[in-house]
Amino acid sequence: MSQVTITVDAQDYRVEEGSLLIEVLIQNGIKIPYFCYHEALGADGNCRMCMVEIEGQKRPQIACDTIVKEGMGVRTKGENINGVRQRILELELINHPVDCPVCDQAGECKLQDFYMDYGLYDSHIDMRQKIHGKKHVDLGSNVMLDQERCVLCARCTRFTADVTKTHELGIIGRGDHARVSTMPGRKLENPYAMNVVDLCPVGALTSKDFRFHQRVWFLKSTPSVCHGCAMGCNIFIDHNKAKYKEDTIYRFRPRRNDAVNGHFICDAGRLSYKALQENRQKEFELGGDSCTEQEALEAVKTAILEAQNITILIDANLYNEEIERIIVFASGIGATVLCPSDCYYDESFGDTWLKKPWRAANIEYINRTEIEHRLPEGSVDLLISFNHPSSKTVDSRLKIIFATHQGHKADILLPISLFSESSGSLTNIHGMTQHCEKAVEGEAPDLIRLVDMIEGEL
Amino acid sequence: MRDARIVSRRFDIPQIHTIEVARNHGAYEKLHWAFALSSDEIITMIHESGLRGKGGGGAPAGDKWSLMPLNDSRPSYLVVNCDESEPGTFKDRQIIVKDPHLLIEGIILTCYAINAHHAYIYIRGEYAPFQQILQTAIDEAYRAGYLGASADGSDFALDITIHRGAGAYICGEKSALLESMEGKRGHPRLKPKQKECEWYFGNPTLVNNVETIASVPFIVYDGPMAYRAFGTAKSPGTLLFAISGHVERPGVYEAEFGVSMMEYINRFGGGIKGGKKLKAVIPGGASTAVLTAEEAAGATLDYETLQSMRSALGTGGMIVMDEDTDMVEALKNLLEFYRHESCGQCTPCREGTGWSDIIVHNILEGTASSTDIDRLLQLSRTMNGQTICVFAPAVSMVIDSFISKFRDEFEAKLRKDL
Amino acid sequence: MSFVLTPKHLEQIEELKGRYPSAHALALPLLWMVQEQEGVITLDAIDCIAPYCDLPSMELYRIATFYTMFHLEPVGTYHIQLCKTLSCALCGKGEILERLQAKLGIKAGETTADGRFTISQVECLGSCGSAPVMQINEEYHENLTPQKIDEILEALE
Repeated sequence: MSQVTITVDAQDYRVEEGSLLIEVLIQNGIKIPYFCYHEALGADGNCRMCMVEIEGQKRPQIACDTIVKEGMGVRTKGENINGVRQRILELELINHPVDCPVCDQAGECKLQDFYMDYGLYDSHIDMRQKIHGKKHVDLGSNVMLDQERCVLCARCTRFTADVTKTHELGIIGRGDHARVSTMPGRKLENPYAMNVVDLCPVGALTSKDFRFHQRVWFLKSTPSVCHGCAMGCNIFIDHNKAKYKEDTIYRFRPRRNDAVNGHFICDAGRLSYKALQENRQKEFELGGDSCTEQEALEAVKTAILEAQNITILIDANLYNEEIERIIVFASGIGATVLCPSDCYYDESFGDTWLKKPWRAANIEYINRTEIEHRLPEGSVDLLISFNHPSSKTVDSRLKIIFATHQGHKADILLPISLFSESSGSLTNIHGMTQHCEKAVEGEAPDLIRLVDMIEGEL
Repeated sequence: MRDARIVSRRFDIPQIHTIEVARNHGAYEKLHWAFALSSDEIITMIHESGLRGKGGGGAPAGDKWSLMPLNDSRPSYLVVNCDESEPGTFKDRQIIVKDPHLLIEGIILTCYAINAHHAYIYIRGEYAPFQQILQTAIDEAYRAGYLGASADGSDFALDITIHRGAGAYICGEKSALLESMEGKRGHPRLKPKQKECEWYFGNPTLVNNVETIASVPFIVYDGPMAYRAFGTAKSPGTLLFAISGHVERPGVYEAEFGVSMMEYINRFGGGIKGGKKLKAVIPGGASTAVLTAEEAAGATLDYETLQSMRSALGTGGMIVMDEDTDMVEALKNLLEFYRHESCGQCTPCREGTGWSDIIVHNILEGTASSTDIDRLLQLSRTMNGQTICVFAPAVSMVIDSFISKFRDEFEAKLRKDL
Repeated sequence: MSFVLTPKHLEQIEELKGRYPSAHALALPLLWMVQEQEGVITLDAIDCIAPYCDLPSMELYRIATFYTMFHLEPVGTYHIQLCKTLSCALCGKGEILERLQAKLGIKAGETTADGRFTISQVECLGSCGSAPVMQINEEYHENLTPQKIDEILEALE
């Protein structure tokens, strides 16, 4: 692809010929306001916010409908263009209820951001003459609609029309009575529906799951990878540790990665943060009674030393580093490592886009090791399960279970951290290895640390 | 003012809408002859005649025709715009009711020139009774062999289909019209960066107004110079001007470009109703800047003169207002129209038409503030040149002209002394 | 689904399909057929016609809400559509509306209790030379006067 040189605000840029000016501006970190353009949905040209001045053009042009050309001179700043943006922004706000204090989008709202950048004028319209729309409409799939806050950028409707092709949302009516809606009596209903909440640049679409739980400016975002299936969709873990409270995850959001999930994630993955934090295994237990870490580790050591044969079950959601550590550990104690995988396979979950029927984040890494995908044959003397969901189906004299969540029955039970509480890498179904950062400070110990300690005792 | 009837020359003949009478008066007679010409020869004639689009824009028809590819693997289409919805405009319906065969013959010639084998007539939904008459004429033309597999015995195949709109002014905008014909809401398309033809389902398409197409037979048969014999150098030919509002004889009367506006109003329109004084004229459909009586007195009906007066010829549909007209009420009436008809796609138009309507409402109600007139003017500037189509800029021109020329009336309302 | 197209309409659809480069073009013609059949456009009917134009129901619903002549709510047997735009307003539309409202005992936007009449105010009907003007269903009534309104309504009763 050939390159052209354009000048933006008196600085030269070498850019790909034929690309959209707005893309060039975004990629080069040049500030440009916009509502309707979205990198996943393309240009629509309806909001008119991305106005720039182009040398030789009488009037300001929208950057999302401008193709770069050799020698093009662009101005994105200055009194003139800011004035244009201010006046268009004022029109976006003319029928807006300005209810920011009770709006869940506050803090991540483009109307607010642009008002700070280009607005800062006094209101010129009588609130009573604003057009009223429906408020708190439950669209379905955890999405709430407030028609009055909508800027009609059509991102959500383009998502259901062009991306999911489910066509639940549309802009109906016309003129200043145009509004986003479903068909009367029908619901927003598709496995990716909640992406419209992220797509919405304003507070028109909010998540029923997230709204009113946390103000966004308190949240910290940590890059990670979803563990909902083997796709490895990139996410942000948004969490906050309030005073005297545990560090808590409030939501997962898609993190753009064009090689994996693009801009989106599925609703099941998005909402998987909830179960993650519930019913955590917090205590070390011996024979069902809580004990100290030291007592548990002692008991593990004794059990290993006394065992005739040892089988290890390994969860296909563990990090690559954890799996490798366990393999080394197993060979040291002469244990067989297995990963029965039937329990992870759910045909009904899969689709042709992001949802894979393998509901284990690291099944592909297991595939690349010697670990067999089966249950142990016959009776086992000692079973050590690293959080594997099928532990209870195995018949064994003695069971040691390392568990993130409650619900396991074992002679020795050891709590371990969640993926969000430690860092590591995962290999997705397409063989791509991705890193997850530690997001949350947890109370349960790190699995590798426990294994190190056990090995040290032997 | 001399007689200048090209499109309307058969209008007064009884039963001319039937094919029998139309043929007795020359309809389809010279088709044979035209089919011996080449595409290029016909397009050259249209160029030379200086024919300009008669739907409001006034773009040279020859230029538009030349954008059609003649040897494309895709089919080409002609779409005839009969979505006549510009307030003050009711001329195209005269053609389809009074002389539908003239339009059909124009379509045949145009399609032959641009190598299209299917023409659509997009007609506004309200015109159902007139659509009936046009459909009857099309059926007659099929039966007589002028349409169908071999038009007039030639090897040129042509079908005509009427496509009915359903109530949306914006569909008169050609790209919105095509969207509508593609089974969508009538949202104008983003404009292409270079000059190109229109596209209907990705196929090259020519969109022309009814009257433009109805002017084609005269130009082809009588020659471009015969057409240029009327009008001015830059606005050649004639137009079915229309006149409504406060005049004695409202109606549609064809005249050549360049005639005096007042002479037209007085001679065809019979002067101002009830012998009152003239206050203002909207010259070419609601979306052109209003002229004061003084300006009207100096105006001639051609594109250049009206443009030089910072207005436009538009559709040539004049709305005449007498001395008793409340100009604030008149603007309010138009703003309600625009607010109702904005497609709502892009922000300045969607919100601007609504807000300007509210401001003028407040002025009429006496609840506006002293700065609201200037606010309206600023809003009007925001609506100009920042939208996908020319709808909002037209509204802007209307607002500016009403306020700049009749500001005292707006201020009087603010002072509540009227 | 209770709505079905009549055999006449099915035949028309087949004929129309041959006239357009894509079935999508049938959206407006199909909505017109529904309104002709039912007087109103129901969601049920939208679902029924959607496959014929190869469009999702939502697109048809969006179209139906865009074009003002499509009725998503029923209107009276006689739908009086009085033009309210400038030329008609200048030529006495106000007194025509008053007379209509007084005669029928309803306001613009309302339907008589017996469901016979609806009065709507509509934008320019393209009949400015014969203002004031109204349509009753599809029929134009031009050069209206209050007396003419009396005659027209009496003829309908």
